[in-house]
Amino acid sequence: MAKWGMVIDLEKCTGCQACSTACAMENNTLPGESWQDVLYYKEGKFPNVSVKWFPRPCMHCENPSCMHVCPTRATYKDENGLVLIDWNKCIGCKYCMIACPYGVRFYTDEKALVEPDLKEVFPGQGGQQWSPPFQNPASDWSKGVGIQPKGVVSKCTFCVHKVSKAPQGVPDLDEDIPELKEFVPACVRTCAPKARYFGDLDNPASNVNRLIADKRGVRLLEHTGNKPQVYYLGDHGTVPGFERPEKS
Amino acid sequence: MNVFQTLMNRRRFLKTGAAAGATGAAVTGLGGLPGLTPVKEAKAQAAAGQTTITKNICHQCPARCGIDVYTTDGRVHAIYGNTDHPIANGKLCPKGHLGTYILYDQDRWKGPMKRTNPKKGRNEDPGFVPISWDEALDTIAGRLQNLRDKGESHRFALFYGRGWGASCAGLQGPFGKLYGSPNVAIGHASMCSEGSKRAKKATDGNDSYNAYDYRNTNYLLIFGAGFLEAFRPYNYLMQMWGHMRTKSPKTRVTTIDVHANTTTAASDRALYIKPGTDGALALAIAHVMLTEGLWDKEFVGDFRYPGSRFRSGERIPAGSFAEKWTHGIEQWWNEELKDRTPEWAETITTIPARHIRTVAREFGSTRPAMAIFERGPTAHTNGTYNGMAIHALNALTGALFAEGGLHYQMGPSYGSLPVNADDYMDDWSRDGAWKKQPRIDMAGTERWPTAGTMMQEAGPNHLKGDPYKLDTAMFYLTNPILTAPNGQVWEEAMKDVFIIDTSPYGAETAAYADIIVPDHTYLERLQDAPTYPFEGWPMAQLRTPAIEPVHDTKVYGDVLIEIGKRMKGPMGDYYKALGSTENVLRHLATGFAKDPGDNGVNSFETWKEKGVWYKKPYHWRQWRGDFYEWDGKGYNVRMSEEDVKAKLLKTPSGKFEFNSGFIANHAENFSKKLGVPANRIGLIQWVPPKYTGGGDLHLVTPKTAMHAEGRGANLSHAIALQQPMHGGNRTVFLEIHPQTARDRGIRNGDKVRIKSSVGSIEAYCKFFEGTRPDTLVLPFEHGHWSMLTRWTQNRGVGHSGEVTENVSDPISGLACYYTGMVSVERA
Amino acid sequence: MSNATQTMDAPTSTGRSVISNARIGLGVIGLLAGLAAAAGLLTGGHATFNTTSNLSWGLPVSAYVFFVLTSTGLTFVASLAMVFGMKNFYPIAKRCVWGAIATLVIGFISLGLEIGHPLRMIWAVPLNLQVRSPMFWMGLFYTAYGVFLIWKFMLINKGDWDSSTSRKVGIASLLTVVFAHATLGSVFGMMAMRPFWYGGMVPVYFLITAFLSGLAFIMLFINLDYGVDHGNMSDGARKAMSEQLPIIFTIVLGLVIVFTIAKTITGLWTNVNEVQIVTRHIVSSFWFQFELWIGMVLPFLLMLSAKRSDPRMQTLAGGLVIVALFIGRYEYVVGGQLVPLFKGAWYDDLIAYTPSMTEIGVVVLAVSVGLLLYGYGDKKLKLSDAPKI
Repeated sequence: MAKWGMVIDLEKCTGCQACSTACAMENNTLPGESWQDVLYYKEGKFPNVSVKWFPRPCMHCENPSCMHVCPTRATYKDENGLVLIDWNKCIGCKYCMIACPYGVRFYTDEKALVEPDLKEVFPGQGGQQWSPPFQNPASDWSKGVGIQPKGVVSKCTFCVHKVSKAPQGVPDLDEDIPELKEFVPACVRTCAPKARYFGDLDNPASNVNRLIADKRGVRLLEHTGNKPQVYYLGDHGTVPGFERPEKS
Repeated sequence: MNVFQTLMNRRRFLKTGAAAGATGAAVTGLGGLPGLTPVKEAKAQAAAGQTTITKNICHQCPARCGIDVYTTDGRVHAIYGNTDHPIANGKLCPKGHLGTYILYDQDRWKGPMKRTNPKKGRNEDPGFVPISWDEALDTIAGRLQNLRDKGESHRFALFYGRGWGASCAGLQGPFGKLYGSPNVAIGHASMCSEGSKRAKKATDGNDSYNAYDYRNTNYLLIFGAGFLEAFRPYNYLMQMWGHMRTKSPKTRVTTIDVHANTTTAASDRALYIKPGTDGALALAIAHVMLTEGLWDKEFVGDFRYPGSRFRSGERIPAGSFAEKWTHGIEQWWNEELKDRTPEWAETITTIPARHIRTVAREFGSTRPAMAIFERGPTAHTNGTYNGMAIHALNALTGALFAEGGLHYQMGPSYGSLPVNADDYMDDWSRDGAWKKQPRIDMAGTERWPTAGTMMQEAGPNHLKGDPYKLDTAMFYLTNPILTAPNGQVWEEAMKDVFIIDTSPYGAETAAYADIIVPDHTYLERLQDAPTYPFEGWPMAQLRTPAIEPVHDTKVYGDVLIEIGKRMKGPMGDYYKALGSTENVLRHLATGFAKDPGDNGVNSFETWKEKGVWYKKPYHWRQWRGDFYEWDGKGYNVRMSEEDVKAKLLKTPSGKFEFNSGFIANHAENFSKKLGVPANRIGLIQWVPPKYTGGGDLHLVTPKTAMHAEGRGANLSHAIALQQPMHGGNRTVFLEIHPQTARDRGIRNGDKVRIKSSVGSIEAYCKFFEGTRPDTLVLPFEHGHWSMLTRWTQNRGVGHSGEVTENVSDPISGLACYYTGMVSVERA
Repeated sequence: MSNATQTMDAPTSTGRSVISNARIGLGVIGLLAGLAAAAGLLTGGHATFNTTSNLSWGLPVSAYVFFVLTSTGLTFVASLAMVFGMKNFYPIAKRCVWGAIATLVIGFISLGLEIGHPLRMIWAVPLNLQVRSPMFWMGLFYTAYGVFLIWKFMLINKGDWDSSTSRKVGIASLLTVVFAHATLGSVFGMMAMRPFWYGGMVPVYFLITAFLSGLAFIMLFINLDYGVDHGNMSDGARKAMSEQLPIIFTIVLGLVIVFTIAKTITGLWTNVNEVQIVTRHIVSSFWFQFELWIGMVLPFLLMLSAKRSDPRMQTLAGGLVIVALFIGRYEYVVGGQLVPLFKGAWYDDLIAYTPSMTEIGVVVLAVSVGLLLYGYGDKKLKLSDAPKI
């Protein structure tokens, strides 16, 4: 039993989106189905312009609003603290997408973001939405791993297909430890500036807990009460309020 | 401890697993481990076959990151950084992971093709029909033989872009020598970043990009390098960024650019400079460093007499300054720098003088500190001078060859090839009439005396028939029909040239091709690649095929060899003896037997297994004004001035030259072209840029992280993740300052037309306060028009090259991509 | 057919049958058009919708909310007689119950064609009992409500208006629909991450607008059913339609106008950023102005005047209010999702959404089925029946 959590150090993050593409290839998501996204915000007037960004995986909340609203318990929290979707139970009502404050859920029965549509180029087999030749062999619909069938909601799994195979009791899954790298979530494993850390929030010996304490980690949108298991470090972990852009 | 026990078991397990896999470590078969609950449903955890990992290096930019390619049941399904590769260190940039798409792209060529429609143009369907490899190679060889027999072998040109190593681009030199053409091969460096190389050649004598010691530096002054977007090796730079920004002391960063990007945003300070004026800023920083006594006295030297100092606007007495490792500071100050005050620079750069002073003091008082630059300052008519002025700051801080400073890259210990081309020369090779022909691009002639290559000139020159007309052209990893400035000229020019394209994809060159001999994609190739400038010590990587080629393709090196084998006379014999690229690689690897790498690579087999040979450390170090060489244990051998000149500072003076002997050698030529008096042509100085295009707004066309090097246009994920600043998830946007737009009646999101003297393109605009009001920013290398691949088409943006005049820096030959001025209106 | 009932009017008017036949015709045409437009669903699935991962509930969900709340409102009106014993309303009660069934069917079809796995829903929801989800309760109560409604109709269709069972079923249908609409309100009202929806008053707002919705349908449909001529009605029905119902309609409409204006004013000047931005966006549209002035204020003025009893005015007012309420539902459902949630620069403006042809087709199809169902009832099920008093 672990309580997996992630720490993202915005002081190091370069906003390159390697986490997004690593995730997309590891989990065979479609363009636009960004389980892991990097969000950019810009403010100010020339020449005093600030641009902020932060990577946004699923927050795997302690108290996930998406789980509570799911009428079929297709969204559930597993024994290691991960919020997962059982594609065999999901009815595609999309209420979880409405209820997730962090916008991390996707319903890919939608118009393709990029044409030609990969779903048409690599037609789905075995009930999958699409079947590319480069599909990751790991697939488990009861955990939302692999390529989803039609009519269900998908999201970041913290790479449960890797993480769940990690040796029991390790405090951190650190990609720099060669024996552990295959168990590290794709986004963490590839992060070049090492802005991401993955570890057990219940383990007092874990590096993630130390980082959260030393660098005063914060969680996003605390007012929603979801209590994310993803913490941000650095002094620009705030999301500017929404403003409509100038039209002319 | 329980944890420890489990870890130990795991370690043993992985070891046995690794031993089992012939080509790499086994990573599957872990299903029995805890944490995996049984699943009842149909789609339970699929039992996969054996997963193998092959070593390769990424192809999507020149950085050459080592990659682990994961293959299961004959399908490649994942790419991660190679943990044991010194650049990658297990990490990748955003492009790296997308390589599997490149492999399985549905629009790849399935085999060799020939054209059936003789008409060429944007909207002409080439009417390609499949042919056999024999027919393709015979056709090409027959054509080349015929040209050679007619005494016109110079009319064959081979253009190449990203040459990787001895087994591809390395084969071209001997081919040209044996065949007899000055145009084999013409590189693309003049359309890339030749400016920084020439600026370094002119000042410290090394015609090369630098290797940098980011790990130990405390200050970065970045001039238009796109450090966190497109500078190289990007992946490694980001690793270093994470380190620099959290080490003690934290590396401070000031970034100079024309618009806000991720680099400026992540830096401590951003300065938005008028395009093409970086040199003026650098000179002003140098001015402040000298007047405030902030230069590195151990490297540069000092005044002979106490109390002397540099005073703004005042000359220093002749002979008053005793220089150590630099040359010409007295003349530089007296003839140029004394008047280059921050106040003066403000009038040129628009950057407030007080900001310039702050940066100069910060930079000058921090050690080690480096100034780095790339195309931002150098892709202008004054690019070499801009680069020299910036590089001079590295001399003033004593960063050259110092810890936390700049080095140059060493080459690998390759073995020699099985045969030597010199032994296979016939009369025509040795001294045929082709030897008197200039290159089609006129590089190295009076027109471009110090340019190594001028690819952008080849198309226009052919069109004019000056110096002659090409007959046949072959392209390897370059696509100037799209990417050359004013590429429309190439579209016209290439209509009557027989074109051989080697790309696996149907880009614009393919649209004009008469014959297509498709290369493997990189995951199918066996290919070497010495490192791009990195940390200085030598390194050579090897690509190993992850799977058998998906289609009927052939690696480019073997195509060259096969064409060679079909040539008559000793040339054919040479290629028969050379055999194949694999044979070439096996011979290269023999060098490692004598000089094994740090990771134990000492043969072809071990090279293949590890994917990389490298040997630390870098051999030279400048410490407190003295140069030392590595003796196997430490930097213990103090170098003489002659030694330094021979190995490190390869200028005529053997010093860092503020007054460049290299440029002075061509004083008359450059004086005419630049309007600088011949007697001061060598000085690092302010030369105003010549803006082209005739518009009222600068157009700057940077590379973005997801598309740097332009190989992302066919990758649907890369398209969907373009340029997060403006959320270009289907296209890229023209950045425009809101006021600039309002003045022209342009609304946010409008489709706009960008016009210059050479053409017009369309794009969708987005308002951005981070772009200079006098500048438009449109990412480079979007707007493909080839109809042969689907994803590239109709992305709602034209290619910036079509509004960029073909003008080049007379010294470096670098195409001035950022010097163009355009007008913009609602489309 | 029971003897206990008494046919209080005869279908003699030609105007009636013209309207009735026209309605059937419209239903058939609508059904065909709806099928044609929604056919994309069979080939392209939900990719033919213009909803996306960023705005996932669009027109079909809006239609679902509108029609199930209309059903709620019709049940309220029916309950005036059947639960609260206001005997004047008996003559329209059966019509209301049948209308409630028809609108509920419309709502369910809209929703069924919108969600990914409607059939899986049938077993997955009851088997997993996620009691924390308002949607679970909404499903439970609306299903129970549907069952009670049909049961009640079968009873009154047999002439059993007043037995103990019949009354209990009637009370049960009212209670379940009150809970159903309240949980539907909670589906939206609990979403603190979408402040435009958030609030404990949402179920109350749904209650009052649902009531108005039911009343407006009565104003429109019952008048049409009687050829827009109260002379065709029985005495009781005429009394209800020309005296009591218009007053109730006017009062409820007035309350909804107050509610709408209050909500709009709060929205325009609140310091909750998202609510302000969305309210501004909505208010600046033609549809909102139509909704407020033409769809609510104008009918309110008509109903305040002496023309209140004029069936033509009632029909017009009912029709306009229906349109206004539909616009309101759409604004509400879509409005709550307009501000992109955590999308950074990818979506730096309100999310653009216009229903696709398929989505419109789904709604047209559902409405046509309801129309035909109602038309069938009107022709075959003696909807004007009332208990002998």
